[in-house]
This record gives sequence, C-alpha cells and structure tokens, in this order.
Amino acid sequence: MSALGGAAAGGEGINPTASVIGIVILLVALGITFFIASTGGAIALIGIIIGGALIGFGVHFVPVGGAPAAMGQAPGIATGVAMLAAGAGLAGLFGGAWAAELGFAVALGAGAVGGGLMMAITCMMVNVIYVFGMGIPSASGKVDKDPITGDTFPEYKSQGTEGHGLPFISYVGGVIGGTLGGLGGTLIYVELLAVYEAALPVIYNAPLEEILPVAVSLAGIFAVGMFLVNAVLTAYNITGTIEGPHDPKFKRFPRAIIASAVASAVCGMVAIMVVAL
Amino acid sequence: MSVKVEVSEGGVPHDRIMAIGIVGSLVAIYLTYLNVLTGTQIFSFFGGIGAVFAIWWGTDSIKTLCSYGIGTGVPSAGMISLGSGVIAMLLATKLGVAAPIGLVIIAAVLGVILGFLSDKVLNMNIPVMIRQLTELTIVGALILLGFASMATGSFAFIDMITGTTTFFGIEVATYSASLIGGSIIAVIFMLGGIAIQHPFNACLGPNESQDRTQMCAAECGFLSMIAVAVMSFAFLSVSAAMLGLLVAFIGWIYTYNEYIKLSKRDAYDWLDAKPIREPKGGA
Amino acid sequence: MVENLVLGIGVTALAGALATVAGAAEDTESDIGSQGDPNSQVQLAPQMGYIHRIFNKAVSGEPPAYGLWCALGAGVAWAFMAINLNAILALIVGAAVAVFVQGVYATTAYLGRTASLAKFEQPVYIDILKSVTTVTMAHAFVAIFTTISMCYLMVAALGHPFPLPLLGLVWGIALGAAGSATGNPFYGKERQYQEQKFGAGVPISASGNIVRYAEAGERSSLDNGWFTSKLAGPASGLCFGLIVFFELWRTVLFEPFAGGWGAVIAGVVVILIFMVIDRFIETWARTTFGPYTEAAAAEPEEATS
Repeated sequence: MSALGGAAAGGEGINPTASVIGIVILLVALGITFFIASTGGAIALIGIIIGGALIGFGVHFVPVGGAPAAMGQAPGIATGVAMLAAGAGLAGLFGGAWAAELGFAVALGAGAVGGGLMMAITCMMVNVIYVFGMGIPSASGKVDKDPITGDTFPEYKSQGTEGHGLPFISYVGGVIGGTLGGLGGTLIYVELLAVYEAALPVIYNAPLEEILPVAVSLAGIFAVGMFLVNAVLTAYNITGTIEGPHDPKFKRFPRAIIASAVASAVCGMVAIMVVAL
Repeated sequence: MSVKVEVSEGGVPHDRIMAIGIVGSLVAIYLTYLNVLTGTQIFSFFGGIGAVFAIWWGTDSIKTLCSYGIGTGVPSAGMISLGSGVIAMLLATKLGVAAPIGLVIIAAVLGVILGFLSDKVLNMNIPVMIRQLTELTIVGALILLGFASMATGSFAFIDMITGTTTFFGIEVATYSASLIGGSIIAVIFMLGGIAIQHPFNACLGPNESQDRTQMCAAECGFLSMIAVAVMSFAFLSVSAAMLGLLVAFIGWIYTYNEYIKLSKRDAYDWLDAKPIREPKGGA
Repeated sequence: MVENLVLGIGVTALAGALATVAGAAEDTESDIGSQGDPNSQVQLAPQMGYIHRIFNKAVSGEPPAYGLWCALGAGVAWAFMAINLNAILALIVGAAVAVFVQGVYATTAYLGRTASLAKFEQPVYIDILKSVTTVTMAHAFVAIFTTISMCYLMVAALGHPFPLPLLGLVWGIALGAAGSATGNPFYGKERQYQEQKFGAGVPISASGNIVRYAEAGERSSLDNGWFTSKLAGPASGLCFGLIVFFELWRTVLFEPFAGGWGAVIAGVVVILIFMVIDRFIETWARTTFGPYTEAAAAEPEEATS
C-alpha cells in the first residue's frame, strides 16, 4: 500500500468484556431492524451480518506481504491487504450482481467463483513473475513445511530474507480468501437489493423497472462501503501482513469475525433504515 | 522495511481544526438550501466548499490517528472513513432540512461503534482510536453530502434519486439519470476517499509541517471539487455548473500555488536539471 | 442473458484485449512513478544516505488510486452521455479529466514526500516533475481509457446491471490489485536492486541501497518504465486480461446451462486448472533452481532463523 508499516499495538487474544458488548450491540441492531422493518428486514440483516463475517474471515486467508514482498524479502503478494481483498471481493460482486436475477443461490455461487477466479489468476501471475522473471523459488518464512504439499522451505529461502514468493498453501489461501470475500460481498448485495426492490416502488409509487437502477446502485454502493469497512477492520486485526492460513496471525480470526459481524449489523441496520423510515 | 511515521509538533491544535472544520462544513452545506429558498441552482457550489472544509479537518484527524502506527497504510483510514460515511450520509438525506445535523449524529454513533470495535474487540489499544474513527466517519459523511449537494443542488434523498433526461428533445423525469441511479455517488466516494488520505500520506516524513499538509488538503479538496463540478453538468443548469467549476478552479489554482511555495520553503533544495549531490557525510 | 451468443463472445474477447492493454499501461505507469510498495524504498533511500533522482509518486496503493481514476473517468463519461454526448467522445473526455486529476495528485505527492525529506539532504528536482509526470499521465490515459471502454462494453453490449461509474470503481480497484500484485516485485527487486544477486531476495540489510546511477549518467524514472515494460507490464496486462476474459467468458458462454450453475461450474474448473499450473511452476522452480544451501537441506532446523 504505502511506505507505512510501523509496529502496531495489536495484541493477541480476545477481550471478553468488549466482545460481549459487541454482541449486545449486534442484538440491539437486530431488534431495532425487526421493530422498524419487521421480519423481512431482520432476515435481510442476518444475511448481511453473515456476509460481513465471511468477508472478515476471508481476508485472513489472503497472503499479503506488503512492501517487503516487492523486494523478495517476505512471502506474499506485494500490495495492501485491505485493497487486495477489495479487488477480489469486488470482482466477485461483479459476477454476483450479474447473476442476481437467476436466483439467490446462483448469485452467491457466481460471486464466490468470481472472487476466487480473480485471486487464482493473480496468485499464479505472482509466481510466474517470481520464477520466470526473477528466478526465485517460493519459500515461506513462518513454517518449515508446506502443510498441503509437504515441501520444505528453509533451504529455499535466500540469505537475509524471510522467504519469498507464494508457496502452495498461500496460493490456496488466496483462492479461499477471494472466494469468501466474493461470497460475502455478494450476500450483502443480494440481501440489500431484495429489500430495496420491495420497498422503493411502494414508497415512490413507481414501477419496479423504472426505479431498479436506484435499487441496484444503492445496494451496490452499500455493498462496496461495507466491504471496505470490513476489510479495513480485518487489516487492523492482522496488522498489515499475513502469509495465509498457516501464519500464526491467522489464529486471530475469531475477534475479527466478531468485529465484522457487529460492524455489518450496525451498517446494515442503517442501510435498511434508508427505505424503512 | 517500513518507514517510521513522524508527525510535526506544534501548529494549530487538533481541537481547533475540528471546530473550524465541522462548523465551516455545516454552514456551507446549509447555504445550498438557498437554492430551495430562492428557487435557483446557483448556490450549489457551497456544497463543494463544505466538502473542502471536511477534507481539511479529516486530514488532521488521519494524521493524529496514523501517528500511532495502525499497522497498515494511511489510505485504509480514508477507505473506512468513506465506507462508513456513505451509509450514514444516505440515511441522513431522508431527514429533510435536518439532514446535515442528523448526519453528524448518525455518523457519530456509527463511528463510535467502529472505533470501539477496532480499539477494544480487535485489541488495537490506541488511545485516540475511538475519537478519530468517530471524526473520520463524520468527515466521510460530510464530504459525501457536500459533494452530492453540489452535484444535485440539494441534500434531499428524493433529489438524488430523480433526474431528467432529454429524449428526442423532450425533458423526461427518470430515476436512472440521477446521482444515485447513475452511481455518481460511487465517484464521489472515491474522490473523497483519496482526497482525505492523500495530504498526510504525501507529506509524511521527518520534515512534515502542518501548514503544508493542511494546504495540500485544501488543494485536494478543490481538485475533487473540479471533478464534481464537471459531473454536475448532468444535473444542474449550465450556469450553475459553470459557476461551480469556476469557484473550484480559482480555489484550486490558489491552493496549488501556495502548496508549491510551501514545498519550496520546506525543501532541502530546489533544483532544476542538476545531478545528484551526495550528502556531506558521504553515502 | 445475452441474446446473441456470437456478439457476446466477440465482446468478451474485445473486453479481454482492452483489459490486457489496461494492465500493461497501469503497471508501467506505476513503475515509472514508483507507486505502490516499491515506493517504500524510494522513500527509504535518502534516510540511508542515498540521494536519488527517482520519482516518488506516493498517491496511495495502486488499487484505491486506480479505483478513483477509473471511477472518475467513468463518472464523467456517464455525465456527458447523460447530456447526449457521443459515447466514444464522452469516454475520451472522461479519461482526460481523470488524467488531469491523476497528474495533479502525482505532483503533490512528489513535492510533499521530497520536501519532508529535507533532513536527509534530498533536494526537490523539479525537472523530474516536468519530464516524468507527463509520461505517467500518458500511460494513465491509456489505462483509464481502455478500462472505462471495457466497462462501457459490459453495460452496453453485455447488459450488466451496474451503472458505468460503479463498474469503473469495481474494475479500477481490481486493475490496481492485479497490476500491483504482478508488477511490483519485478520493479522492486529486479530494477531497484539490480546490483543485488539474481535469483535471490534482497537481503534486509541492503534495504535503501537502490540503484541510482545508469549506464551513463544518473538513473531516471523513465529508465524504470523502459525496463519494466519488457516483462512486468505485459505480465500485469496478461493477469488483468485473463481475469476479465474468464470472468466474462464463463458467464456469457455457460450461464444458459443448469439454470446459471453452468457458469459457476466453469469458473471452478478454470480455478482448478490455474491451481495445477501454479503447482507446476512452483515445483519446476524448485527442481530447476535447486536449494540455496546444500547443508541446510540436510539439517533444515539450523537454517531456520
């Protein structure tokens, strides 16, 4: 992303009191939504909460090395974690939104595959550049052995670095991360779109075909906004860089899921209130 | 290797910048209401001025937040600010005349929750986290409301989802040719997201000075305003849009010139087509 | 969804080709400007005593920056189409406005970052500003124009429900993500640290010691574009082109099957194929290049630090 890294204060473990308060906020948001938008709104909000949690969980899988990765000093993709996840998730949202008229399940499937496809191609090209452009094999800095393929890394790690490239476990993590991000983003979009498609024609007394662009746009921009909020919160959780599911930082994911779920609940409540008030 | 974030000491205190920012922004956004009172569109440009105030304030908030080392880049703060701001802003536009005030309250509630989540649930333990994320959410929402009201001439939701288009010479009201229906809101979203993080990200370094960073913030604000003015031709009368473009352009030229002067003042040296001069200590 | 399959396939191919050009131009632009992660080294070098004449275009990461340029280009194009301007002309005007904004951001970033390095005796070279900014703007124009043209095709010919500006935002961020992921290592390691050993990562102790002199005279950022446009640029283009092409191809061709699930299944198959290719590349590198140290191969525990 930028030149900034810096030691962040992010400690390990879950803060129980804060998490309970967070969950209370989530339930209150759900209650308010049920009160003002009845069962339909509350079910949509549950979908949005699940979508947000999926994004928060998915970002943990994406192997991001930040600035050191651009010098072959650390493994991962050389860009910022929130933005790479956003790139994959929004590519998924593109596919999901396209398939939205074919039904709920197909849209989710299309969104998930879209995100996964984007990461599959990007991660492969990263390895193409590392291997054919720079002559550097992949090596992880955090583990000695690839949990999937059983490749050993220490002897493939060049001197004075923490590893480089994308080992297979990171590749798989990237694809899973993109898939979950695309799935979560599309879920938020589809739920909001259903709410707006139902409410807007009634409020403004207009046929659905005419007001559909507004519903699509509102759902789209809210999905993008919530995606970025969740991705940045997760980036704060993993403090910048992560190698993938084998990284010790991966174990921090429970608290990111709590945070993303609560943030999505509150944001989703506000987004539903736009048409319910 | 990461670069240590260093923040200049002294200068205008953050509280004063915040006070100027919030009052200036609200007053300017409310001035667009003159459009409704007088039945014209020429006061639309005040929305852009409001957004410039908000960007100017948000830059200092980002600086305060990022001086703690948040573990990822400065731009992420701009993204979370606008991402939560857009949600608060669109709900606020439903409140009629109370929209700008309601926006501050809604965004503050949203920002406190996001700040609490980052600080306590994610264990970041940064003392200013709750306050700065609250400010940034308000700033993000104000930028969006300001630019949206500049583009459409109004801060009411109904005006943002309806537009007119000419169809074989006849004016037809349509939902798709509107600020939200055409997703111009997405452009404003990115304009604000980059403008709010750019000044501190661009000026960071050991010799960062507050007046230069804040001048860059005003410059980014007016630059974004130019872009919004160009897009407002789709929604406003030509004269109103031209006035917005003119105001934005004059503001941008002035701030850009001042920014170059301040850069010249702070730079170690100002050279044109000269070779590398190795430092006196030797490389 | 698309009535005419042949038209759909043609548009898919055209969009993929536009995306390839966009990716190549995007990466070359960001490398000339030293945007993205390699920027950290340009920023670090003067602090380590290495004064240089490299552009320092720290606007933000490439994904949000391109998210803005493409969304803005698409938004302006949309606005001009809304007042009945010809679509092609509107796209060109949109790209031109976006490039103006990009150029201004580039200059403020260079001035800001460099002036803040006064403590380390790094001067501002305004001839860099004059000669390099225009070149990055030219590349950015190509990248933005091709991306928003591609988005326009998706709306006009393929019937995607998103309005043009939202598509510009989505694909702009994806373009920046693909370009920075693929292109950054090549510029950061191969070019900035050209003097370091080939086939190995840059040792952390060498950080900041970027190459500042050229074959004759001093290295200019334009040389970096000349270098990276040979591999990193086309590779980024291929990356983004493949993403766009397969994303559209699987939908246009396979969506009619199994109530839409055909496109999902096709996507999964494509992902698995790329996974196999990636695994092949990884093992090829391991067997062909071999380990760095034989001793460490026998006793991996000692090599771990």
